[in-house]
Amino acid sequence: MLANILVTTLVNGAAYAMLAVGFSLIFGVGRIINLAHTAYYMLAGYSIFTLVRVAGLAYVPAMALSILLVTVVAVLCYKLLIDPMREHETTVLIITIALALVFQELMLKYFGGHFRSVPGVAEGSLSILGVQVTRQQAITCAVLAVILAAVWLLLHRTRFGLAVRATAQDMEAANLMGMDVSRIATLTAAVSAALSAAAGALVAPLNILEPHMWLNPLTIILAIIVLGGMGSIKGSIYGAAIIALSESLVIFLIPQGSFLKGAFSLLIMIIVLLIRPEGLFGVALEGER
Amino acid sequence: MTAPFFQVEQLTKKFGGLTAVNNISFTVQPDEMVGLIGPNGAGKSTLVKLIMGILKPDRGSIRFKGKELRGQNPWDIVNRGIAGTFQNTRPFRRLPIIANVMVSCLAPRGRRRGEWVKRIEAKARDALEFAGISDLALEPAAHLSHGDLKRLEIARAIATDPELLILDEPFGGLNPVETELLAKSIRRLHRGGRFGRLHSEGMAMIIIEHKLSELMKIVDRVIVLHFGEIIAAGTPREIVKNPAVIEAYLGEEGA
Repeated sequence: MLANILVTTLVNGAAYAMLAVGFSLIFGVGRIINLAHTAYYMLAGYSIFTLVRVAGLAYVPAMALSILLVTVVAVLCYKLLIDPMREHETTVLIITIALALVFQELMLKYFGGHFRSVPGVAEGSLSILGVQVTRQQAITCAVLAVILAAVWLLLHRTRFGLAVRATAQDMEAANLMGMDVSRIATLTAAVSAALSAAAGALVAPLNILEPHMWLNPLTIILAIIVLGGMGSIKGSIYGAAIIALSESLVIFLIPQGSFLKGAFSLLIMIIVLLIRPEGLFGVALEGER
Repeated sequence: MTAPFFQVEQLTKKFGGLTAVNNISFTVQPDEMVGLIGPNGAGKSTLVKLIMGILKPDRGSIRFKGKELRGQNPWDIVNRGIAGTFQNTRPFRRLPIIANVMVSCLAPRGRRRGEWVKRIEAKARDALEFAGISDLALEPAAHLSHGDLKRLEIARAIATDPELLILDEPFGGLNPVETELLAKSIRRLHRGGRFGRLHSEGMAMIIIEHKLSELMKIVDRVIVLHFGEIIAAGTPREIVKNPAVIEAYLGEEGA
């Protein structure tokens, strides 16, 4: 039981962390609340499905191609629809939710509402420290961890990362120090979408594909972001771990009530907000300037 | 005739009914250090914001090395070789001091292609050394005193390798010893030379300052603004004797 809780927490936590980090990045840099973020996750799933089942590609090239395709679509959406409206936060919210719905309807039209599945890279299971894990779970978890580490290195050890962190703190000041903030924001939008697509591509073999699959993770990510502190990358990772753990606990401890996992996550979020309105790693607003 | 190094022509900016900057024209030569003074509300800071591209002028032009700057973004202006520090310092509070300066070195102007972060860090450290706060390099910017924040601003500005540096009240809030030190640094910057990995041919400067006695000691020429217009321009010696200037300043004290 404990082992199951642990494995589920790790796999889900890593996927949530990747989604949440991408969401946080574009919020931090562009002050954009991108409600279409998990739609990219869904698109990546369907893209893999098409490439593997219809075009007959192997899983790994299909995954790489899907991430690339979805990132291109996301950057186009960002440049054409979101960037011109960036100053108007409410408009951005409406545009991004509309975008998500458009993608959902397109998937419904072309693939129908059926539940679909994608074959994984590996069959069977293995035992790690006495815990039974499917090979697919182990691979997914390892790749997610590697990508998260790469993102951390990107943010803390490269010039792009420094530019992103500076722009996230004060866009105007970064602009005055010669930083092309609009280019940084576009690149961040690309990284953010690529993370969402990668998360979708990696968990696709573990999950069921259906056109509404973006909605539930979106709610969870919002809970994670608010829990961890808006725009904080560290907060997103800790938030993801907490929410994933609480979900696994609900699933395994109250099997009849596993449908309550979402509600339970949101409850934790509300409790944290009552005690610490800025979230675990958020900066209190008055300290910002 | 060659174009002046830096030229502002008939620059005008209105905020509603208030004309903050009214038909201002002046030039700065590459080897000059120019003081910009005037009572509160004279339009000095507005002028700086217009030059740096933060505000868009209603009329007039700003030319730097023969190129029009009007309508450019702040980052573009910085990359053409103008850097500014601001009256209200705006550090990246959650980044260490050194990272604050490294951000300047990321600008296309401040970096060479393919430079690794380590090299940028070394350059940023030299800028901090020059500004006299290299011992604080790893502290988060939120921990700095007001005087040190001013120094950080200067380090960030020089790290972009500017040819024209605009300082908005660099001495504001500093004690006499700090002021003396900073004045010395500014003179050194103006003359140019090698500061570790940074080297400068010497940069033109525009300094806005309230502490007139300090300013008059270091600048070559002074421009006096009052109600958005230039009321006098000349050497520091001429300016202190100019009746219109005395009137503008006494008028402010009398009010």
